[in-house]
Amino acid sequence: MGVGGVSLNTLEHHELRVLWSEVKWPFEPSEIQKSAVEFHHAVHHIFAQTVVVPFRLLSVFDHRQSLVDFVARHGAGFIADLKRLQDTVQMECVVFFKATGPPDLSSGSAYLRQKAGLQSALEEFGGNLRNALSPVGSEIRTRQAKHGNRIYCQVQRGQEELFRTIVQQVQVPSPLERRVSGPWPPAEFLSESVKMPEVAGQR
Amino acid sequence: MAPGPRIPLLQMQNDFESVILARHGEEDVSLLDILDHVLNAGVVIHGSLVISLAGVDLVYLGVNVVLTSIETALRNIEPGPEAKRSLR
Repeated sequence: MGVGGVSLNTLEHHELRVLWSEVKWPFEPSEIQKSAVEFHHAVHHIFAQTVVVPFRLLSVFDHRQSLVDFVARHGAGFIADLKRLQDTVQMECVVFFKATGPPDLSSGSAYLRQKAGLQSALEEFGGNLRNALSPVGSEIRTRQAKHGNRIYCQVQRGQEELFRTIVQQVQVPSPLERRVSGPWPPAEFLSESVKMPEVAGQR
Repeated sequence: MAPGPRIPLLQMQNDFESVILARHGEEDVSLLDILDHVLNAGVVIHGSLVISLAGVDLVYLGVNVVLTSIETALRNIEPGPEAKRSLR
């Protein structure tokens, strides 16, 4: 079942199957949260069975022919990524600064020292985690988040628990907290041309 | 280009302590996790949306856009009377 209780349709292109739903547009803003959860469940229902390339929520084509043209244009890239990422999942570890009270504003240098200390702890933990995950992570990427870092790890299906065990064994410095999530579809590891395909005539 | 539909993002609770909606293995999946992934991960196509937070327009996205989570939008918003952004 797709978003809003509508059925899922299938468009086939060579080895590719594209799942889509016909929805009312624009979305009712009050329904966006519900739609997001429904979208998540639809994606993960398929992901439990096979590798998927998810589109972001609110990816909308004006009509079916637009979707057909898009798939014809970019299908080969999607197929290549699906084959490359087959049997892998994305596990994530978010590490962020724990709220420990107000910042040290006694002086500018005190504030900067405090901030530098937090950043140093973050980098040290990130490095330790990456080293620990190297046996299980075929690829590891780090992105800055607002209050910390997100570490994405591409692992083989079936190794999700091993990932969690390894992460839990890495000591977390006191100013930081850590949270693990996954498995997710390996969206972080899509090739750039698949993440942002060129829409006809536009770039 | 005329602005598209407004999509008010829900009030984000403190990171990683949101409502738990599902379980993936041993980890609870929070609403924030879900929103962040469905809005901020995956394939991007063109679109036109205005994202607003508490009724205040946050980012206007034109052609060749990316729809980001509020976290990403706050991190990348440029100062000025209009925040227009396209991602190449």
